[in-house]
Amino acid sequence: MAYLSLTNISKNFENVVAVKDFNLNIEKGQLVSFLGPSGCGKTTTLRMIAGFEIPDTGTIFLDGVDISNIPPNKRDIGMVFQAYALFPNMNVRENIMFGLKMQRRPKDEMIRRAENVLSLIRLENTAKRYPHQLSGGQRQRIALARALAIEPRVLLLDEPLSALDAEVRVVLRGEIRRIQSDLGITTVYVTHDQEEALSISDVVVVMNNGLIEQVGSPQEIYRKPNTRFVATFIGTANEFHGFVSDSSHVQCDEINIYSTRVGKLATGVKVVLLVRPENVEIYDQPPGRDTQNVFEGKIDTITFHGAITRLGINASGKIITADVSISSRAPVTHNQHVWLSFDPEYCQVMAE
Amino acid sequence: MDISRKSKPTASQIIFITLFLLYMIIPIIATYVFSIATRWDRSILPEGYTLQGYRDAMKNPYFLITLKNSLVLSFGSVLVSLLLIVPTVYWVHLKVRLAKPLLDILMILPFGIPGVVLALALVQVYNFAPLNRSPVLLTSAMVVFTMPFMYRSVSNNLEAIDIPTLTEAAQSLGANTIDILVKVIIPNILPGILSGSLLVFATVFAEFTLARLIVGAGFKTFPMLLVEYTRKDGTIAAGLSVISFTIAWIVSLLILWVGGKGMKTSQDVIKAH
Amino acid sequence: MRRSISQKNRRAAWLGLLPFLLFCLAFEIVPILLLIRDSVFSKAGTLTMSNYKQVLAPLYLKSFWNSIRLSGITALIGTVAGLFIGYSIYRWPSQRIRNLLITLSDVTTNFAGAPLAFAFIIILGSNGLVTQFFLKSLGLKIYPAFSIYSFSGLILAYVYFQLPLMVLLIIPAFGGIKKEWRESATNLGADTSAFWWHIGLPILAPSLIAGFVLLFANAFGAYATAYTLTGSRLSLVTLQIGFTITGEVLHDPGIGQAMAILSLIIMGTSIGIYRLAIIRAERWNRH
Repeated sequence: MAYLSLTNISKNFENVVAVKDFNLNIEKGQLVSFLGPSGCGKTTTLRMIAGFEIPDTGTIFLDGVDISNIPPNKRDIGMVFQAYALFPNMNVRENIMFGLKMQRRPKDEMIRRAENVLSLIRLENTAKRYPHQLSGGQRQRIALARALAIEPRVLLLDEPLSALDAEVRVVLRGEIRRIQSDLGITTVYVTHDQEEALSISDVVVVMNNGLIEQVGSPQEIYRKPNTRFVATFIGTANEFHGFVSDSSHVQCDEINIYSTRVGKLATGVKVVLLVRPENVEIYDQPPGRDTQNVFEGKIDTITFHGAITRLGINASGKIITADVSISSRAPVTHNQHVWLSFDPEYCQVMAE
Repeated sequence: MDISRKSKPTASQIIFITLFLLYMIIPIIATYVFSIATRWDRSILPEGYTLQGYRDAMKNPYFLITLKNSLVLSFGSVLVSLLLIVPTVYWVHLKVRLAKPLLDILMILPFGIPGVVLALALVQVYNFAPLNRSPVLLTSAMVVFTMPFMYRSVSNNLEAIDIPTLTEAAQSLGANTIDILVKVIIPNILPGILSGSLLVFATVFAEFTLARLIVGAGFKTFPMLLVEYTRKDGTIAAGLSVISFTIAWIVSLLILWVGGKGMKTSQDVIKAH
Repeated sequence: MRRSISQKNRRAAWLGLLPFLLFCLAFEIVPILLLIRDSVFSKAGTLTMSNYKQVLAPLYLKSFWNSIRLSGITALIGTVAGLFIGYSIYRWPSQRIRNLLITLSDVTTNFAGAPLAFAFIIILGSNGLVTQFFLKSLGLKIYPAFSIYSFSGLILAYVYFQLPLMVLLIIPAFGGIKKEWRESATNLGADTSAFWWHIGLPILAPSLIAGFVLLFANAFGAYATAYTLTGSRLSLVTLQIGFTITGEVLHDPGIGQAMAILSLIIMGTSIGIYRLAIIRAERWNRH
């Protein structure tokens, strides 16, 4: 059995469904992200694991034991909150030792452990400082250290970086991943930031409207989205609505797109076909005859994004988004006539 | 365990609030009922009801005199306070922000000076005619005493509306100084001015210490008449108490109504400390 | 435009404050300074502490003791009861009821003075409603052990305006205790009492101290309620100073001045402690 297992979890708040039929197994030592828009139920699920919310139905097993009825202060699960939640009346060391104090550990052990976790987050020299004397990033690292000091069985992080500056966010998420894998601690990480989830997780759980949309590795989630929600929530995608015309083609209005991803969808089924902007190729000249899915168009918008340039191409009335690396090709101009193609490998097809 | 509110109050919450309500409301209700009771010392409920107490109170020649005196005093204090404090606060906000700390200190002082001490100081300094023991001196004392109320109300209001930007916006649209003042600034700080005035009015109307000690019998106010009657006639005293309770309630509700949510009366004053 | 005011204009701008500053000088600052001067000079114009030495006489010493005791006791009752009642209001589920209770506190804390004193005479005077009720229905004679005209009665009447003031002061402080602190304490193994002992009360402490000293000052300076209830039966500092003004009791005016200055010192100290406590309390909120 998995280390942390949630079975058939449901939770309503005054007739509003927060989480429905949630089933998930988390292996020991994994970092699992719950990713989704606000209100999708990810935080509610996390709070049910912590014990702050009681599931209406279902069971939570930790290491084979049902913990559903254990009060939150006896669960031995560490949690890091979005708003730091450091106790303002205690200095850093007292904050870190608080959990150990509640466990009535001997004083010398508390001090030793506080030093250990402080060195883990590389903030040894802040032990005597008070939270209001620290920066946001430092506070969140202390909050992490405080949660780790009790050596919890599971670590929960509730949007830990969303209150921080973009730069600090990137540094700190790397730090969290490093500490997590060094300690081998089973971790659940809630975020609405797809880049964050994709960059640090072993497993990503995409949620929407209280339901799990897809569970998979970051690569799977990005490359092979199971649902239209996942495909559009993570990254951007050009959408084509149509129906399956045969085992490898989708008819969308006048155009017929070749895809290797039609799978078992029967002919005639209404589908949506998705192509990510980076999978759209652009040519100044008509490409060779062996190139599939070639269309003509005119460049409508050009938006510079640094490493890439995003083009909006008007192909017989439909705007298709394409990302190109300018450094690797000739500059583009407004109203330029271009050819574009979709690689059939990257044309995701899913039933509507 | 959660600190957020539950859907139902707990038993201890209900007990605390009930006791609090009883303590706060019984004296008020008792006064209201007592003022219309014929006799109420032998039974739980009064033996009968009558408005005789009010009729007797109004027959007293001093009733109208003291009511008039108190109203004159209250309106006078509000007027002086408006003329003195409002332009000053506006001026400090717009022209001399450096003076704000000085003003803040001057506004804390009245809280640290008990009414009797202020009365003693004023009576000893102004012991010459025509100021000595005069309603004018009393008005000045009332204005000093209620300064923080007016200051806080107007100042909070000014802080909230960003005068410099409004002024610049009005200027850019072609308004002159008088237009700006009359059409932009005053309408925007009117709630603050109104709630400050109401607070000053209510406080001065109910104020007993300064009135008794600075002027005394020469210019009898409504609260002085009330104290006098507490020693003479209970029913009439109750009637007079009811009148002052009612005025306090009306003014408080008016302040809430004028100021909306953001202008808590006593809380404002507390923040002024 | 504003930023380019010249040096000269800026000095002229201060002139706009002149009427207000003159008023404050005339009716607040100068009279108080003169009071201080008079309290330390004899009639012959020599510097003397004799006024202050006279305050050491039992009658006046007693009035200070009574005032401090009355203010301390009612501030303490107000603080402790206000803490629990304030919390009950803060946690009350219905927003409408919460606002209603806050408005009630707002109005009742301003009900000090003669009407309040008389309301208590009606219910707890020697012929009061509650007094009679106890006597006739329960056979309990609460007089003379308790009397609304005595020290114990004053406590009851003072708490009436002290308690709602504390409620108004403490409710915002509860808002400063963040939900996440409670949850992270729970998450780290604390139960309710451990949370309040280690986190909740330490965070509230500055607000409680601030509330206590403000209530203390509030009671110490009060006059009307005590005057209506006790007249001259009980000796309080404010009543004694009042007597020196009205001349009801023959006093050396110098004693009144000395008592006034001593109460200014007590009030000033209270307000000073209050400011310090508030600065301390705001440190948590900056978090």
